[in-house]
Amino acid sequence: MRWDWHDRLHVLGLIGVVAALAWLLIAGVPGASGARQASGIERAMEREMAYQARAAFLQQIYGPVQDLRRQGQAQQALLMLEQLNRTYAGEAHGFVLKGLILHEQGVLEEAVASFVQGLRLNGDYVDQRSPLSERTRIQKAVEEGLTVLSERARANPDNPSVTAALRNVYYLQSRLAGGCE
Amino acid sequence: MLKQREFWMIMAASLSLGLLGVLLTVWGNPENSGICVSCFLENSAGALGLHANERMQYLRPELIGFVLGAMGSALLFREFRSRGGNAPLGRFTAGFFLIVGCAIFIGCPIKLFLRLTAGDLTALAALGGLVAGVWLGLRSLAAGVHFGMSTPQRGGTGFVVPALFALLLVFALVQPSFILTSSRGSAAQHAPLLLSLGAGVLLGFLAQRSRFCITGGVRDALVLGRRAPLLWGLIAFTGAAVLANLLIGRFEPGFYGQPGAHLEHAWSFLGMGLVGWISVLVGGCPFRQLIKAGEGDTDAGMVVLGMLIGAAVVQGWGLAATAAGVPVYGKVAVLVGLALVLLTGLLMRERSA
Repeated sequence: MRWDWHDRLHVLGLIGVVAALAWLLIAGVPGASGARQASGIERAMEREMAYQARAAFLQQIYGPVQDLRRQGQAQQALLMLEQLNRTYAGEAHGFVLKGLILHEQGVLEEAVASFVQGLRLNGDYVDQRSPLSERTRIQKAVEEGLTVLSERARANPDNPSVTAALRNVYYLQSRLAGGCE
Repeated sequence: MLKQREFWMIMAASLSLGLLGVLLTVWGNPENSGICVSCFLENSAGALGLHANERMQYLRPELIGFVLGAMGSALLFREFRSRGGNAPLGRFTAGFFLIVGCAIFIGCPIKLFLRLTAGDLTALAALGGLVAGVWLGLRSLAAGVHFGMSTPQRGGTGFVVPALFALLLVFALVQPSFILTSSRGSAAQHAPLLLSLGAGVLLGFLAQRSRFCITGGVRDALVLGRRAPLLWGLIAFTGAAVLANLLIGRFEPGFYGQPGAHLEHAWSFLGMGLVGWISVLVGGCPFRQLIKAGEGDTDAGMVVLGMLIGAAVVQGWGLAATAAGVPVYGKVAVLVGLALVLLTGLLMRERSA
């Protein structure tokens, strides 16, 4: 195949563009430290900051409830949580916290139901890498639920509330199992 | 059949797919998602900034490996042909709804089998859906519904999609600042880059040589029965994955507590039904589309681009199912997909005069 002037011009142009590209990648990119990564790093940074800020905000808002919980004043903690849930309705943190308190009180069925409500809103609570993670506690509630509620369901197969509670436990079990989402 | 080289190529591809599908989870990929074309496309779309789900952003090297491995094999064995040019928008839309169907079930046909081989019984409904969808697709083909025959194309149009994936490989290796990577969620779980890439290249290479395809296996089984080599490939893939799961202690049969699964079986059935039906019409499952795109098929390339956009949309609009269940708009999307496939059956049917 013979190359005419059109082909040669294109090849020359191509070589020029590739050379310029190589120069830009090798010499230009590491030098332009400021502008180079601004967009990507800023986005990642902003995203992480927003997430950390949210976590800190939640810890702050629900801090008094946590204090009461630590002091063993579960009823007061639940009352305060009720008030907060009116202001921040639909916030997963409140449901998860309520689940933790109820679980500590031995009210397993309601605790599990509350965890389910929370996790339907936000999966971070079973994510090991999240600062909001309550995975270990939820895992414990599931293990108890599987033993206690399965037995109860076997003994009372027609009881709809036990069946619903067991379904909630299965739901939590699925969320804990992870996998692609 | 045992004397045919094609049969043994299929066996090699199937066994590798089964083993690597499980091993990749050991090396770091999410459980039961060692290989999942739809999940990986959703991750990759997120990494490119096409959706904002912070838990689903990672440029999966396996996908890049599939396309580049297939291209390498096709070039090496002189099978690379630029071809295509039929119903591009129809194929793009088909690719989009392939991912919608997969997202409702949470996984592509390969992951369906990987989930089953790990003991996830919720995938049985989806298996039923896939078989039903493939059967419907076969009925459609028999009735004359098709997107048209591909024709040879000039120049290097067949290199466009492989070039795009080569660019993604550069992004994966260089990690430029605009590529996003999740720090939590399932996308944060991944095998080391070179292992993923190597597995992808090997599988892409073998799949190109063998023409391995999940829906193709089901289709051939329905048409040819036991004489279909792809059916034996499917059995080998399943057997290898079961064995690997048993050996590493990840075989846990049951309906509950399965990773990345939900209990809305009817929607799993419909989602995979949609995938099976579309796959037969476009000539292969999502995995096969990547392989064909790697060997120069621009029609498959259009399906791949549709799948990429579909992956961005299902995450961006919250259509994808999670362990929490199937969102309402996800259900709507599946029904729209089914309606479009039915319309395709009406509008793209070759009728005798």
